[in-house]
Amino acid sequence: MSRENPEYLDRESLEELQLRRLKKVVDRVYHKVPFYGKAFRANKVKPENIKNLKDLERLPFTTREDLRAGYPYGFLASSLSRLVRLHTSTGTTGKPKAVLFTQKDIDQAAQLITRSMRMTGAGPEDVFQNMMSYGLFTGGLVFHYGAERAGALVIPSGTGNTERQIELMHDFKTTIVHTTPSYALYLAEVMERMGLDPRDDFNLRIAYLGAEPYSEATKSKIEEIFSLDAYDSYGLSEMNGPGVAFECKEKCGMHLWEDNFIMEVIDPENFEVRREGEVGELVLSTINREAMPILRYRTGDLTHICPDPCGCGRVHRRISRIKGRVDDMFILRGVNIFPSQVERILMSMPEVGRNYQIVLERRGGLDEMRVILEIKKRFFRGSLEDLKRLQNKIKAKLKGQLMVTPQVELVEPATLPRTTGKAKRLIDKRKI
Amino acid sequence: MSIWNSHFECMAKDELKQLQLERLQATLNRVYRSVAFYRKLFDRMGLVPDEINSLGELARIPFTSKTTLRASYPYEMFAVPLREVVRLQCTSGTTGEPIGVGYTRNDLAHWTEVSARVLCAGGVTKNDVVQICFDYSLFGGGLGFHYGAELIGASVIPGSNLDPARQVVIARDYRTTALIATPGFGIRLASAIREKGLSPADIHLKRGLFTGEPFSERTRKQIEDKLNIKATDNYGLSEIAWPGVAGECEKKKGLHIFEDQFIPEIIDPRSEKILPLGEEGELVLTTIAKEAFPLIRYRTGDITALDASPCECGRTLIRMKKIAGRTDEMVTINGVSFFPSQIEHIFSQIWGVEPHSSLVIDRRGDQDIVQILVKVSGEIFFDEMKKLQDLKSRVEREIYQDLGISVKVKLIEPDSFTRETEGKRVIDKRESN
Repeated sequence: MSRENPEYLDRESLEELQLRRLKKVVDRVYHKVPFYGKAFRANKVKPENIKNLKDLERLPFTTREDLRAGYPYGFLASSLSRLVRLHTSTGTTGKPKAVLFTQKDIDQAAQLITRSMRMTGAGPEDVFQNMMSYGLFTGGLVFHYGAERAGALVIPSGTGNTERQIELMHDFKTTIVHTTPSYALYLAEVMERMGLDPRDDFNLRIAYLGAEPYSEATKSKIEEIFSLDAYDSYGLSEMNGPGVAFECKEKCGMHLWEDNFIMEVIDPENFEVRREGEVGELVLSTINREAMPILRYRTGDLTHICPDPCGCGRVHRRISRIKGRVDDMFILRGVNIFPSQVERILMSMPEVGRNYQIVLERRGGLDEMRVILEIKKRFFRGSLEDLKRLQNKIKAKLKGQLMVTPQVELVEPATLPRTTGKAKRLIDKRKI
Repeated sequence: MSIWNSHFECMAKDELKQLQLERLQATLNRVYRSVAFYRKLFDRMGLVPDEINSLGELARIPFTSKTTLRASYPYEMFAVPLREVVRLQCTSGTTGEPIGVGYTRNDLAHWTEVSARVLCAGGVTKNDVVQICFDYSLFGGGLGFHYGAELIGASVIPGSNLDPARQVVIARDYRTTALIATPGFGIRLASAIREKGLSPADIHLKRGLFTGEPFSERTRKQIEDKLNIKATDNYGLSEIAWPGVAGECEKKKGLHIFEDQFIPEIIDPRSEKILPLGEEGELVLTTIAKEAFPLIRYRTGDITALDASPCECGRTLIRMKKIAGRTDEMVTINGVSFFPSQIEHIFSQIWGVEPHSSLVIDRRGDQDIVQILVKVSGEIFFDEMKKLQDLKSRVEREIYQDLGISVKVKLIEPDSFTRETEGKRVIDKRESN
């Protein structure tokens, strides 16, 4: 075994390490996890067939449904008595997924957080306030362990009790926060309400953002409000929680820790592996996990692998910020479209109000997309001519970026139904 | 029955006393050097730490109160520079101003050790699946139990503050064997099992360790019967160590205080005199192994008595009885702590005057119920009654928002008021019916 720090391996050594670990994992799950034994046989593949990293593609995928079906102990590859931590990942629908750790798994997960924090310049001098939920959710505890190993003063504040958190942040001179982007923005609001200046009255210098999708604009806004450096963090409970991929100081994508995970990006429709730079579904295989090794897990997250090398010199390849979820994608005349793409185009136009809806219909055997959108009041004052022009402008812009021609319908503000919570943006009438 | 650290837990008395004295002297020197409050205090008393040559002389030092700790916020009481502090915990946020309690790396190791001792005394081994139903953040004991259980090598489920219904499902699926919770939560969990159409036999619980609320023998019996487990008590406080000051062994005859880390005394809360061994009074604790936040003669506000007779379990550590109450009438309802004075304050703000009131706490089924009895004059006109009703619901709403507890305000006439409450501020019926 190489004694070198895997963070700084050269590409060749890193891939050697990956292959060595992959072979070991494949052999273990084949013999210890009935799900994989069966799936391997169905794919007519045996552990000894895995001779290089490319052979990974011969292995079956693991889906969320598989993990749910295996709850609680179906994917356990070590003995029950070696487990030291049991989490669950509930998600939004039904049955939970088990997230199981041996002591080595805990150490490894913590170590990846420590590595990620150090990469952004964090250390023993820092006061780290962990504003993520503790408990069964992996986001809080796993990060806590990593920060403790980085030597920082850890304030396990969890979520909620916002004013008290702000007092602590102020009084104990917190330098780093770990939070969701939306909570960061809320914090600023409450600080101002308390008569405190998010920049001048605090010592914040770093924010780790994760656990929900957000845009570059939101990130810049957070950096601006608090005057700090924000870094993207990516993880999911099924893969031990946070610390799967993390941004370095270059801030141009998140280094996915390839000594622990092998990544692929696939076409979510035909499952073909995509090239670097092409957007698709992120698929992860754990290669350094004892309790619950998972092969080719379909994360449901959309991203691409950044093709160019990183200025920081690390060879662990980067993924872009998560662009959306596969579940949200729809296919129109053979083209994959994400509601988030439509949203980005619409929101870039000054005339467009806050609300819109995408309706998919089948007319005479042909699928049609109709975009109904609210136009700001002042743009509704013009002539019918002007509206027509605006309609065509939006249509052209959508067509230019989506490669399909939509119908565009303009409506007055407050016409579309309002919902509390998650808005229903997409109505697919084709299946009815 | 196993003992986590027989070196310290079964130490010969004279050896333990010697260890305590050495650690006390080191602590006194440390606080004199590094904590302005203690230096001033010692100087005023003409105390030189090196002159404390016996444990008995500890009594020469004045007490430290919660008020002092509040005034010292954020870190006047810290005995090490902030860069040596690796963890910050807080006392519960509901009872007034917070107190920030810092831990060095050694402090965390000591805390983890005593937590492991508590769990081990309650019967937890590395083969247990331990479900911890205490909040994991800054204000709760969750992390403390978690680190202890992890040190033992058990499988730990960080249940944190999930509701009983969901904790039951997890306990069933993961085959939890040890439950860590408040007594009230234990009772609610039993109800949740029943509501799911399950019986204790469907759950694999064998033992439970309970703390954080009054825990009488009666409640113990109830929990043991309903959950079909062995239930033990343990004690701690967030200013010092929660969990981890004392833990009951399976003999269930009092809680062993970890005297290698804490020196206990019992005083009369009014005269502040030390009481003879065995008499009931206020527990006073001195930490002798803490680096970041050492406390000398800290008045816990908890009422108990000490028992120095040997325990059949083999531990030589002194035992304390179950907590019999609070000197300051702090009340804990469904896991939330508050003082009656906080409720009276809200009253006086809304009502204009501070009314004659009494707090009645009761347990119906698995829920703690709080009633505030308010004395109103017998001659109230009908339209005034309407106004009073409005005030009543405003008070209820305000108390819920401020303290996070649901209360019912009940207006009663002076005669029945005296009969029912006999001038008491707090009547806790939870342990008497």
